[in-house]
Amino acid sequence: MHFDLSILLPHLGFLARGAELTAAACALSLAGSVVLGALVAIARTSASALLRRIAFVYVDLFRNVPFIVQLFFFYYGLPEFGIYIDAFTTGVVALSIAGGAYASDTIRAGILAIDQGIIEAAEVSGLSRRKIFTRIVLPIALRTSVRPLGSVLINMILTSSILSTITLNELTGSAQIVVSQTYRPFEVYVVLLCAYAALTYLVSLAVTLLHRHLNRDMMEAVG
Amino acid sequence: MRFSDFTSYDLILLAQGLGTNIALFLVTSLIGLLIGLSWALVRFYRVPVLAQIVTFLSELLKNSPVLVQLFLVFFGLPALLHIRVTPVTAATITLSANTAAFVYVIAVSAIEAIEREQVEAARVFGLTRWQVLRHIVAPQAAAFAVGPLVALMVNQLQVTSLISVIGVVDLTKIGHILNMRTLKPFVVWTAVGLLYYGAAKLVALLGERLETRLRAHSAWRGL
Repeated sequence: MHFDLSILLPHLGFLARGAELTAAACALSLAGSVVLGALVAIARTSASALLRRIAFVYVDLFRNVPFIVQLFFFYYGLPEFGIYIDAFTTGVVALSIAGGAYASDTIRAGILAIDQGIIEAAEVSGLSRRKIFTRIVLPIALRTSVRPLGSVLINMILTSSILSTITLNELTGSAQIVVSQTYRPFEVYVVLLCAYAALTYLVSLAVTLLHRHLNRDMMEAVG
Repeated sequence: MRFSDFTSYDLILLAQGLGTNIALFLVTSLIGLLIGLSWALVRFYRVPVLAQIVTFLSELLKNSPVLVQLFLVFFGLPALLHIRVTPVTAATITLSANTAAFVYVIAVSAIEAIEREQVEAARVFGLTRWQVLRHIVAPQAAAFAVGPLVALMVNQLQVTSLISVIGVVDLTKIGHILNMRTLKPFVVWTAVGLLYYGAAKLVALLGERLETRLRAHSAWRGL
């Protein structure tokens, strides 16, 4: 039994490129899932019962089916319809759709928490319904749901490791290649575990700072 | 007869796969619950050093991908200790530890949700620390924790799908096999997804029943 981390030194650059791919996939998927989540949140809080129903079915379905099954569904299923996209795009699409289901819940909670008086004031001021939504409701809802959206992002970083199963060499995929070259699985995966933990820790710190910055007017009211 | 068609035996295969997932889910949930609760006890009794180790361990497990944890146990441990680890053993160890980390966090926050005055009052009446835990803290904490625990269980059921990556023949692996044989990914992955969905809904339903029973004492009974 011997434990030697120095064998990883020549492979750090390769792992860093994998981490870049993970970061890129997560950034794109976060943008995708916030846009999708906002649209679904609108549908779930709309006056139309049909729209509410459709949005609920989407959220319920994608939250209760394992991500790896969703990923295989897109990766193997889409070519059957003549849609040929590479592993990276498939991964981003799948992560966005799965993340969108979680993001929509947090944004919906943000919308429902808005004081009815604010909306009434906007109506009285003569703003159109579209203006009220894009200028008043959505900014407030997004601002208050920064923290839960942050945990959606952290979950997304952890889930993105599953993209290695569809031949995408992101951080976990690169680590698997390093293992097959060095035959030192324990060292590689321990470092990988700590790298993910450090990464998500930094993200959660950044989210807390952003949350404080965006909601600083509310903080003063409390403190 | 061509071997690329679906046969009625495929249904049995799917059922076997789902059975593997559910069996592993039940076993690891039970072990995880016991370990997580014992970690919470360590924290409750403020055992020096051990309490810090437990907190660090649970943070590490919570903030790293389950896939990497699986690889560490399945590929890393045998390489380090020169022991034989079967896929099922590796899956059981990893999923139990992962569940324990989340159970620990839920248990700790449920215990902290109880006002300190109650514990102090009980101590003043001469109850020992164990009696306080048994008669005052535990019943209330259980009622607080049951909601988050049910959500955790629904999530952990989906996490079991990852064990297919290290070669356990579960529902996802069966889906892979059927996909490769029939080349009908849409049908296969839809069926697999729906089976997981049904199982998740069943867990959620049972959890809901348990929650209403545990919360019966504080429910609104009407006038």
